Amino acid sequence: MDGIGATHIDHIVISSSDAAVVADTFRRNLGIEIKRTMTRPGTGAQLAFAKLQEIILEFAGPPAPKPGDEVKARLWGIVLAVRDIRAAVERLRSLGYDVGDPKPAVQPGALIATIKSGTHGVPFALIQYGTPPATPGAAT
Amino acid sequence: MLTKIHHVGIVVHSADEALKFYRDALGLPVTADKVIDDQGVRGVLLQIGNSEIELLEPTRDDTGVARFLANRGEGMHHICFESDDVAKELEAARQKGIELIDQAPRLGLAGMICFLHPRSNHGVLIEFATPIEGQHGH
Repeated sequence: MDGIGATHIDHIVISSSDAAVVADTFRRNLGIEIKRTMTRPGTGAQLAFAKLQEIILEFAGPPAPKPGDEVKARLWGIVLAVRDIRAAVERLRSLGYDVGDPKPAVQPGALIATIKSGTHGVPFALIQYGTPPATPGAAT
Repeated sequence: MLTKIHHVGIVVHSADEALKFYRDALGLPVTADKVIDDQGVRGVLLQIGNSEIELLEPTRDDTGVARFLANRGEGMHHICFESDDVAKELEAARQKGIELIDQAPRLGLAGMICFLHPRSNHGVLIEFATPIEGQHGH
């Protein structure tokens, strides 16, 4: 079957009003280990990360949560890992989807591109780690 | 013990329309496609790596999935964690005082499943699943 060369779900993003509180709730309720926290460069967004096998759970929240407010969270978006992001973007565009140009991701050496249309309500992005395979256009 | 993310559930108006993106454009293979009458949904599972994406199309208006669609529109609905013993996970959640939707595991598209109430997780709906051998790819 033709496709974009997606290998796995890389990230599932959980957006919230307080990333640290939500990550801690998942730790307590589900026994998930929070492996890393960071502040996103540029935006100051607070991030916490857990990993189950190949999938990273990313808890995202604002730079300065408002104390006392009820903490709310929701499943927000999905990032798919692909072998060759340029080939994947080209294929989706050829099918009529609006896809942004690949740009450097926060992860060193990675490229990320956002799918801006046709995803049925789910913010979607593609990420490529490292260099693509040698065969040009091998996106299946 | 929760071993991996089994799938993420996405509510859509029409699974057939959504498959144009998830199956045809992304190239993800369909591993199950079934109408679950008692839940009032058509569920379609698509394989991606070691996990799956589940498309949920309401088949009636009086279900939680239909209300989700009416209130919020299409989008991510739940996240499902796989366990080798869903009953044990459910009991552990009960012992922690977590509010439950299901008081006992039941049969679902992903195997034996149960849901925790989103109120206990800041609004995020969480499912546990133990796949049944030979049911589909898991």
